[in-house]
Amino acid sequence: METTSKDKKTQDKNVQKKVTQKDLNKVFWRTLQMEFSWNYERQMNLGFAYAMIPVLKKLYGDNKKKMSKALKRHLGFFNTTPFIVTFITGIVSAMEEQNANDEDFDESSIDTIKASLMGPLAGIGDSFFWGTLRLLATGIGTALAIKGNILGPILFLLVFNIPTIILRWLCNNWGYKLGAGFLQKIQANGMMESLTFGAAILGLMVIGAMTASMVSITIPLKFGTGAETIKIQTILNQIMPGLLPLGAFGIIYWLLNKGAKPLVIIAGIAVISILGAWVGIF
Amino acid sequence: MQALLLGIIAFVAQLDYATGDSMISRPIVTGVAVGLVMGNLHAGIIMGATLELAFIGMFSVGASIPPEVITGGILGVAFAISSNAATSAALILALPIATLALILKNLYLGIFIPYLSNKAGKYADDGDADGVQRMHYIAGFGLALLLALVVAGSFLVGSHAVKLLLDMIPAFVQHGLTVATGIIPALGFAMLAQVIMTKSVVPYFFLGFALCAYLKIPLTGIAIFGAILAVIMVQIMHSKKNNAEKVVTTDDGGVDNGDDF
Repeated sequence: METTSKDKKTQDKNVQKKVTQKDLNKVFWRTLQMEFSWNYERQMNLGFAYAMIPVLKKLYGDNKKKMSKALKRHLGFFNTTPFIVTFITGIVSAMEEQNANDEDFDESSIDTIKASLMGPLAGIGDSFFWGTLRLLATGIGTALAIKGNILGPILFLLVFNIPTIILRWLCNNWGYKLGAGFLQKIQANGMMESLTFGAAILGLMVIGAMTASMVSITIPLKFGTGAETIKIQTILNQIMPGLLPLGAFGIIYWLLNKGAKPLVIIAGIAVISILGAWVGIF
Repeated sequence: MQALLLGIIAFVAQLDYATGDSMISRPIVTGVAVGLVMGNLHAGIIMGATLELAFIGMFSVGASIPPEVITGGILGVAFAISSNAATSAALILALPIATLALILKNLYLGIFIPYLSNKAGKYADDGDADGVQRMHYIAGFGLALLLALVVAGSFLVGSHAVKLLLDMIPAFVQHGLTVATGIIPALGFAMLAQVIMTKSVVPYFFLGFALCAYLKIPLTGIAIFGAILAVIMVQIMHSKKNNAEKVVTTDDGGVDNGDDF
């Protein structure tokens, strides 16, 4: 069935349309702008259409009707983690190629694939890139930068961007080669779950360490004079170093779970700190 | 002149989103550039890092748009350096600026780009790929330009007024705000933790905390231990699940047979 329609097609136009590595490379560079035109209505729609244009031009450059349909298709709602969006553009490139060569191809399947991939990819991507990797980069970068070391910002950029660029590049080719079946496969054997679980462990350990090292609260309050001075902070440190930062983290986490708005919490912190400074606790 | 350069920094920072979310819009990066422009690189780096920690929980996941860190980060550091103020001043200035600028940005993202996107739809009707492409560029560069104008304009108008304002703040309030600067990162960490936290991974937060608080292991070290532990735990989870699956499949077979017949 498929062979016959393909044969017919070959007879019609005499030549199969093909997406080359060069076209895929162009799409790769364009995906760097995926969030450049982000908007509230359809989110990454313009960015996605923009990224697909080299492939669409190659496939539908001589067919205005199909070009129009393809452009409109990719201007629909789209949103996922930008660093691995190349996985979807790769798959979609493969599908568009099939569509250009096969009159019987079901065009709506392209929309279906986009819609069903963006969720899971965002699920794992958001937690890994925004949660774990960015946190790692920020942790390493700020630890140096807070002391005024220029290496901090540089390391921040390198730690974040080198892995994302490499992954973006790999996903670009994987997506095209493996086609649409791949993601279902790794979801079925639990790889997705493992990645999320592993990323969460790493991410939380770093958050814990940053809470201990980058949140600073000390209480210089003392009682008594001379040799009998009791420093509150010394006692607290004996109970547990970093007790106050941990307490602050716990209270704020609890407030967030109760639905408190971040800006309200910031205002609260400022008010408490100023009152504390006025009374002389801090 | 400084206002113009700060505007250019804002423009380039917004190109973050044209360079693969490369993070060049973050305060830790813009702080360096602002420090150079304002003639105090050292302060720029430190203030940038402080703002970065304060803004750490604020990044766009899915459809949520955080306070506008570009204007907040650049103007906060610039005003603080220009009025010889402490690091905490950068933070108290950055937050309201970022919140105000977000309103403007929301209008742009909520009204202007959707308008361009509809126009792109019309080009698509005609199969005009270049027209669609043009709309994308206008949307992106337009926002960069808008932020650049906001930063340059605010700096021209505001730097004198901001200095007067900062001078008026009494000492205990300034000290209190310095204290707040130390606490606010906890908010960012808590917001991040909320995204990742599930019951099964709670202990790892405390493990990271304790390793750092008691053993004073630096962050890179914690990250390495964390990565190794993550691999080990995933392996353990896998072997557990594989064993469980073996049991479940035999059980299922039995039950199914019973139901069918």
